[in-house]
Amino acid sequence: MHFFDTLKTANHNLFRNKVRTTLTILAIFVGSFTIILNAAINAGVNSFIDEQTASLGGEDYLMIMSEGSADLVASMMSSGGNGPTEYDPNKTISSMNEEQLDKIKNIDGIDADSIYIAKNIPIEYITSDKTDKKYTITVGAMPPGNFKIAATAGGLPNNDSDEYQIMLEPDYPQALGFSSDEDAIGKEVELVFLDLVTHEPIKFNAKVVGVQAQGVVAVNGSIINRSLEDAMYKAGTKNYPAEQSELVYTVQARFDIDRYTEKEIKQILQDNGFYAVGVSDMMGTIRTFFDAIMIVFMVFGGIALLAAAIGIVNTLFMSVEERTREIGLDKALGMSSGKVFLEFATEAILLGFWGSVFGVAVAFLIGTTANAAVHAPGGFLEVFPTFNLFEFGLFNILPIIVVVMLIAFIAGTLPAWKAAHKNPIDALRYE
Amino acid sequence: MKPVIEVKDLVKVYGKRRTAFTALKKINLEIMKGESVAIVGKSGSGKSTLMHLIALLDRPTEGTIKIDGIDSTKLGNRKLNQLRNSSFGFVFQQFFMNPQDSVLENVILPLKIAGKKRKERRELALKALKTVGLADRAKFKANDLSGGQKQRVCIARAIVNNPKILFADEPTGNLDSVTGEKVIKLLFDFNKKKGATLIIVTHDDDLAALCDRQIRISDGKMIEDSQEKAAEKKTKDEKIKSTKTRKSKSQVASTKSPKNAKTPTTSAKSHSVVAKSKVANSKTTKTKNAKGVA
Repeated sequence: MHFFDTLKTANHNLFRNKVRTTLTILAIFVGSFTIILNAAINAGVNSFIDEQTASLGGEDYLMIMSEGSADLVASMMSSGGNGPTEYDPNKTISSMNEEQLDKIKNIDGIDADSIYIAKNIPIEYITSDKTDKKYTITVGAMPPGNFKIAATAGGLPNNDSDEYQIMLEPDYPQALGFSSDEDAIGKEVELVFLDLVTHEPIKFNAKVVGVQAQGVVAVNGSIINRSLEDAMYKAGTKNYPAEQSELVYTVQARFDIDRYTEKEIKQILQDNGFYAVGVSDMMGTIRTFFDAIMIVFMVFGGIALLAAAIGIVNTLFMSVEERTREIGLDKALGMSSGKVFLEFATEAILLGFWGSVFGVAVAFLIGTTANAAVHAPGGFLEVFPTFNLFEFGLFNILPIIVVVMLIAFIAGTLPAWKAAHKNPIDALRYE
Repeated sequence: MKPVIEVKDLVKVYGKRRTAFTALKKINLEIMKGESVAIVGKSGSGKSTLMHLIALLDRPTEGTIKIDGIDSTKLGNRKLNQLRNSSFGFVFQQFFMNPQDSVLENVILPLKIAGKKRKERRELALKALKTVGLADRAKFKANDLSGGQKQRVCIARAIVNNPKILFADEPTGNLDSVTGEKVIKLLFDFNKKKGATLIIVTHDDDLAALCDRQIRISDGKMIEDSQEKAAEKKTKDEKIKSTKTRKSKSQVASTKSPKNAKTPTTSAKSHSVVAKSKVANSKTTKTKNAKGVA
């Protein structure tokens, strides 16, 4: 008997008792539906968290400063309440010298090529020729490496371009008089800052190349490309004494994430007299917290599947009893025990298959409808256009279907074994 | 002629120790190719057990069964399954059809098990249905057929693989005499035309009488074999008269068997005669049935 025949026969036999089979499939459906919906939420939230992590520079991103800055950063991050801190001359924000920069470059695990020194200039305001209003803004260039930011229009500025480019924060295009995010792309905006010594206002025009999507963690303001950053820094510090214009307070870099955890590399930096801030300092434990909740829901789905598996055992046992004569005839006509086993095992697997496929289909319908609903005006995720609550993909659907089929097969082995070991004579005599 | 079935010292015991029941006690038997053999006996005599063992549906406790010279007791399950599938055909009293499947699907079953190709098995099944005169019912649901038609479908299923041996277990047991006759005619047709060995288990003496040879089982023992009787008689005759002409064993069996007395001529093998004789027998069958009901 060919496998295709076995498959066809099994499916045919399965739907002979439609009510019983449908109810069993329904039980499997409930279990797999729960798990698939959970997996979809998990995927949705995780990709959003990934997106946020990437917008902070990625998991291998570090902001390194001298050790003296550590306490100041810590006191800014904590809520206070410990009273005034006593002055310590060793614990002030201090710039880094050449020697220190070389030291960072030579630390094992730090990618020397990725080291980038941000040259921040405080911007007074941003405006455009479409509005009289002026708005405050923070700008910064992209940290080195694989840096991603979700966009509602356009994309990131190009660091290799000589053109001055900017990716605006959410809501800025409308404030600046553009009709939409799309409308702002390709248009010019005006950035105004002061000469650091003379306080003369300096104007720079930049082309809008993108608009950021709203995220849960704050991206460091609007993003400009390196040529604009360099030009503005040069213009703002042109009256500085030479030695002072070169002061470096923070260094951005990437570490070898395959070899070190963020905690380990921070320790290494600390041992060398530096203080570093990584993604986990900014993201906190959102992911860990979320994963824990998801595991609880997965367990619920698993329990539902277990109950469904017992349903499969029951259904197939009844089926074996009902079809005792048929099995006897099949065996009398030369069907091997193995094929009988295979036929019943296939029925079990098909139960799992149909149950999980219906689970996927319904979960998909509900998920996509919910995604549309939460992003609609008034929906609770309206402000996060890139946050898909449910994310479906082959990578999360297929393994679940396969696992459910496997569970069904395991549940089916006992009845299938019983069927396979029926004696044709006893089976044909059975009344 | 070589025997197609050789049974030697066959013993079948059911159960163990105190509950043990010996269903068959040292049966010895040879059946030739193309022979039609009736195994008769009361219910519980062991006749069905004997058929099941010969049909390799069950394994004997002791003794050997050779099919075409191959010792079946030495074959593995796979070979046994293959042998049953390719060389045997089965007709049962209770039909054993899959009632929800179509007639064609039911006939196809053995070919499907054999792993034959879709097109080939369809053709063969339609041919078999034509032989039993039910080609126009191929698409019908098996359940929608009458009892006689069901049994004819079962015969189509039994002959679809062109078996060497056709086993029929009380083939007319659930049928009235008229439809029973049709079924019997089909069985003997296959036996005569294709030269297949036919083994019928029955307690109907009229049906048994149509066979070349009758084997009577009682209490697990073979108490009568028409062929041996004939052979004995023949050897006696030879001693007395020392006959000049020698006839083959089977011919002797069919001509000189006392059970065949009802068949008018020695050409009992030709199916037309079988059919005729069956008409004559139908009356007796009917009266028997009537008695049974009363």
